[in-house]
Amino acid sequence: MEPALGSYLALSGILFSIGAVGVIYKRNAIGMFMCIELMLNSVNLSFVAFSRHYGDVTGQLFVFVVMSVAAAEAAVGLGIIITFFRNRLSVDVDDASILKN
Amino acid sequence: MMNIFLAELADPNVSIPLVLPEMLLALTGILVMIYDSIRPGRRRVTGTISMVGLILSAVALFWIWSTPGQQLSAFGGMIVADSLRMSFTAVFLLVSALTILVSTVWVEREDVHAGEYHTLLLFATVGMMFMASGNDLVIIFLGLETLSIATYVMAGLRRRDLRSNESALKYFILGSYASGFLLYGMALVYGATGTTNVTQIALNTETAQFPALLLVGAAMLVIGFGFKVATVPFHIWTPDVYEGAPSPVTGFMAAGPKAAGFASFLRVFVLGFPLVVGVQASEFLHDSWITALTVMAILTMTVGNIAAIVQNNVKRMLAYSSIAHAGYAMVGFVGAGVAKTATGRDDAIAAVAFYMLTYAVTNLGAFAIVTLVARKNDRRTEFEDYNGIGFRSPVLAFSLSLFMLSLLGLPLTAGFIGKVLVFRPALEAGTSLMVILVVIAVINTAISAYYYLRLIVVMFFRERTEEWSQPKISTALAAVLAITIIGVFYFGIFGNNVIEMFSKYPVDVQMR
Repeated sequence: MEPALGSYLALSGILFSIGAVGVIYKRNAIGMFMCIELMLNSVNLSFVAFSRHYGDVTGQLFVFVVMSVAAAEAAVGLGIIITFFRNRLSVDVDDASILKN
Repeated sequence: MMNIFLAELADPNVSIPLVLPEMLLALTGILVMIYDSIRPGRRRVTGTISMVGLILSAVALFWIWSTPGQQLSAFGGMIVADSLRMSFTAVFLLVSALTILVSTVWVEREDVHAGEYHTLLLFATVGMMFMASGNDLVIIFLGLETLSIATYVMAGLRRRDLRSNESALKYFILGSYASGFLLYGMALVYGATGTTNVTQIALNTETAQFPALLLVGAAMLVIGFGFKVATVPFHIWTPDVYEGAPSPVTGFMAAGPKAAGFASFLRVFVLGFPLVVGVQASEFLHDSWITALTVMAILTMTVGNIAAIVQNNVKRMLAYSSIAHAGYAMVGFVGAGVAKTATGRDDAIAAVAFYMLTYAVTNLGAFAIVTLVARKNDRRTEFEDYNGIGFRSPVLAFSLSLFMLSLLGLPLTAGFIGKVLVFRPALEAGTSLMVILVVIAVINTAISAYYYLRLIVVMFFRERTEEWSQPKISTALAAVLAITIIGVFYFGIFGNNVIEMFSKYPVDVQMR
């Protein structure tokens, strides 16, 4: 017997929370970015689970969209992090503090 | 289930004319990109191609707008052509065109690789247009990401400038963080209602399998959209990103993506989560989001205005002012949510679109001048740099004063009509919460007078200690100033014409 919808949702929620909390606690830009990826992928899990539950393909379609968007975001994001690293020789977000708060 | 899907495949309801504006602009973007790789560094040419693309796209838009008997929704209900889409798309095209003109100064001064810049700007605009035309969470998400990814890069275009790097990094991290929440919200709403179509979501609320998920999903969506339109408490990124990004890009970000955020925020909440009397889940959901957004509107206006008072950097001041303006626009948004009739709701939506139009015109005009005064590397953006320029560069000083007065909302300017229109629907609802909201909005307008007038005082009544060399106003910049100044007066005096145009097609066409 396959697991119930609830278990998938719980797992997805836990992964999402780990990602969300990780972004706040991490000080390393790459680490923060990985946490964001974790958030996006946990959402994918929810989409697929709901898609299966309703027998509706929209959720799976959404997952493909999310995956391609995440890839584009990774390309741009790493580019931004690299430019930052070139000028600062660090990827620590605490170093990003010229703009006063 | 499978059969239904196959039926949809057989008749996907494709309608090219309905997405013609988006298609033309995306093709222009690709064309600019290819041209730039063959003949790099020709700023004038890429700029001209982009402008032509924007104009063609605008022509296509007005063609859909003015041709009677057009199909109003296509692609299985994913794309709609209602007045919400039309009016906001017009705003985006205007914003994009003005940004290209404003950037000419900056692109030449800083020797920016303009082909990339124009491509990114066009793709960002396509993203914004899909955010307004999408009637499906998938399309809205795709549009939002197309916009966001392009703007992350635009914020960091001055690669060697640490401030620009930092701005891009912060925008990227916080932006994708917010996208994560938005996406989770979409997943939960899909899970609760079994559909991603906004119209269908509204219909399915009654039969929702998991009403609790719907509520949590809506809350997540508020976080995601709230970030995009920079409302308190999701505004932390705004001042830093706006200050560090190149000035023309800042002007664009404050006008375009904010309006786009409002377009899909409005569509998902006002049309997707409407009040259906008698259905408990719907009543509760509607009540919750109205209250949440009312509180957010109050916080946004107040925090934005109070923080703007203490700023010494003009770009930062304008960033906080943009937060405050998001708060005013939210008053109209809430007004659309509580409207009792469909007409009242449509008028409120048109009012928000009109508000974003007036704000865009005024703000881009102001940023044109900020760009010009800033000089190389965006160095001169403090209030001191504006000391006493009033009578030395009267054109700049008087236009900037006009824009400040319009942002403040002085009668006869665009800002005034915009504010009146967005406050009206909330007042018409008549509940005490709405009245309090409008009263706070009006008090906030009074507070904002301090910092808008301060810039005028600084320009005209302070002695200048440093020397001042008159910046040269290029043709493109003169065109921007002419368009924005005429816009400020035109919308301020003949705003009704635009509003009529903006409410031509009833929103939410499929439902009735």
